[in-house]
Amino acid sequence: MRKLSRNRRGITPVLSSLLLTVIAVAGMSIAVTATYVITDELHDNMGERLIVEDVWFTTGQISLYLRNVGKVSIKVAAVYVNRTDQSFTSLELEQDKHGWLTVTYGWSADSAYEIKVVTRRGTNVVDYYMSPS
Amino acid sequence: MLWTITCRRLKRDRRGISNIIVIVLSLVIILAIVSNVVLWNYEMNNLDWEKMKENVIITNVERVTYGSQFTFENDGGLTVHLVSLWIINSTDHQRYDISVFVNSAETKNYLRDDISLPTGSYTVKVITERGNTAVYSGS
Repeated sequence: MRKLSRNRRGITPVLSSLLLTVIAVAGMSIAVTATYVITDELHDNMGERLIVEDVWFTTGQISLYLRNVGKVSIKVAAVYVNRTDQSFTSLELEQDKHGWLTVTYGWSADSAYEIKVVTRRGTNVVDYYMSPS
Repeated sequence: MLWTITCRRLKRDRRGISNIIVIVLSLVIILAIVSNVVLWNYEMNNLDWEKMKENVIITNVERVTYGSQFTFENDGGLTVHLVSLWIINSTDHQRYDISVFVNSAETKNYLRDDISLPTGSYTVKVITERGNTAVYSGS
């Protein structure tokens, strides 16, 4: 035991090997994490699907019933009526879930409106809807 | 003999091993990214393709003694799953949760005793699980 504690030859190669192993493991962990993050974001972007089930024009507002038909959850980030950003109630939908999105907008009777719903990841659904007479 | 000598030389000669390891690991990472993206893209394309193949029609809507009866026809090549039913008129947009499966080339009657059709003109709309819509107008 005393001999071993006094004999320090060979310590440097062991330390250097250990250090190299730690650096290699850390490098690989960073690479794997980066891979996961990149693919996960691509996954989510590609997996978004959204439909508008119904549009209801009521006094001072337009209500849209949205359904998430994609593979990931969605959050509505913006709503445009005739290419103008409008205020709306916050809506987040998990997979296969559905709900009302209310947009505050003073619409006129018997007119066509281009309504565009944009999600946080950039997916958008756009269509024309006629207001009732 | 020659083979044995070559093997021994290769065992002793360790130059360039680290380069090979780096290349192999990089290839593994690139392969993981590409395969992941390609497989997911394939799955989503398949989903879109199935949505395009769907074709459901509401052929008839009628008032019955207790409630309303809806007739759905599947003209597409895939089984459809109807998940939403809308009854819309000038004053109300009423949504009902439904779960009706209609096989390809099948016509199915769906009776709901809790739905009464509005007086005057109305629109009935069904939504499929894949996101398609069928509309029927009646009065």
